[in-house]
Amino acid sequence: MQRIACPERDDWQATAEQCGFDFHTVDGERYWDERAYYAFTLQEIEVDIEDATAEIEAMCLDLVECALDDEAMLRRLKIPEPFWPLLGESWERDDRSLYGRLDLSFGGQGPAKLLEYNADTPTSIFEAAVFQWTWLEQAIERGILPPRADQYNSIHERLIERWTEIGCGRQLHLAGITGDDEDAVTLAYLADTAAQAGLATTVIDIEDIGWREDGGGFVDLDDQDMALVFKLYPWEWMFHDVFGARLAEARTRWIEPPWKAILSNKGILPLLWEMFEGHPNLLPAFFEDDPKAATLGPSFVRKPLFSREGANVSLVSGGIAVAAEGGPYGVEGFIRQALASLPDFGGVYPVIGSWLVAHQPCGLSIREDATPITGNTSRFLPHAIL
Amino acid sequence: MKRSRRVVLTMMGTAAVGAVSMGFSRTRPCGPGLEAVPGPDDTLYCRAIHGGFGGAMHRVHGHGHGGHGHGGHGHGG
Repeated sequence: MQRIACPERDDWQATAEQCGFDFHTVDGERYWDERAYYAFTLQEIEVDIEDATAEIEAMCLDLVECALDDEAMLRRLKIPEPFWPLLGESWERDDRSLYGRLDLSFGGQGPAKLLEYNADTPTSIFEAAVFQWTWLEQAIERGILPPRADQYNSIHERLIERWTEIGCGRQLHLAGITGDDEDAVTLAYLADTAAQAGLATTVIDIEDIGWREDGGGFVDLDDQDMALVFKLYPWEWMFHDVFGARLAEARTRWIEPPWKAILSNKGILPLLWEMFEGHPNLLPAFFEDDPKAATLGPSFVRKPLFSREGANVSLVSGGIAVAAEGGPYGVEGFIRQALASLPDFGGVYPVIGSWLVAHQPCGLSIREDATPITGNTSRFLPHAIL
Repeated sequence: MKRSRRVVLTMMGTAAVGAVSMGFSRTRPCGPGLEAVPGPDDTLYCRAIHGGFGGAMHRVHGHGHGGHGHGGHGHGG
């Protein structure tokens, strides 16, 4: 794995905007950054990332199975008890997952380590699936990359395949916070792939979902029943929002399904360690109130059970907080995870995003930051297989 | 991971996405729909700037209460 500086395409901003990627630059700072790329060998991709991702996913699915039979686990994850049946029923029905993203620490040496699992509402899929691929094709055409260059990326076609399995010919609603650019692009992109799979799509703001009092059920702005809904809105928020109480009586099938509420919780990190202690792709992790947390010593990463974009994550080294992100999370408790130093590529720290569609590993994205905590100001860099 | 692949978009583009584009800020530690503001003890908490799931409670249909635009409820997150 190398970080290779390269010339950027002189028309990349226009190209981005033409395809709808209009948040490539935020507050004057680059989010998309193609002044360098990460190069991998095929061995690194296929063994170190793809195989590891498949193995971690298998462990996560085992964990869901166990957690749904173990009230103590669900309590540890702070999943509200009234929703346990919803989770269990969705698992028993085998309600299908569309996608997810594992965040891995990997620098080309040693096994990739799971930092966390964005299992419920991962974003940046458009950049990973489409714009990164456009960069590869144009970079080869323009001599920025050698002709043999390739990319680990079949996200787009896997999404279309999965939508076909989920509901070819059906009506799909895609709900989220449409006033947020990043979420709007994610919804628009997933709607596009669903339409290519033969589904009829309607994008709706999560706030605009209504409830049919006589007969029950969620409805859209045209009073049409919402039987199949992709939601870019976290389960833990849905549980606590006004319509959370109606979830159990609705016949709606949700994507991601309710059982994903287990995997989107950082409490899975200690639970995975408990079940698969010593696995090479896992880091030791413990709930903060577990006496075993002391075995991590004075260096660890502290994460809230629920957190986004690195908020409230702190990195403690030798008992001293060397990097911390502020934020509002942590009420539900924290976990501690062994410190896996991110690879340092000359003062920048990349995190690998390893994408899964239908539980199958199928692509990679890289976020790079100037601090060892990847937050919401990190940049997206493309990658290539050389 | 095959150079022959084609990535085609059929609906996305400037017009489709621009229609729902209302200014982007990635500085959102609470996530979309919420904003972090200092509380009384100077710790941050998340305040809803979006009604959330069921935030527009006037959208309850049936028993003569159907229809849209009957505001007055919700937005409490």
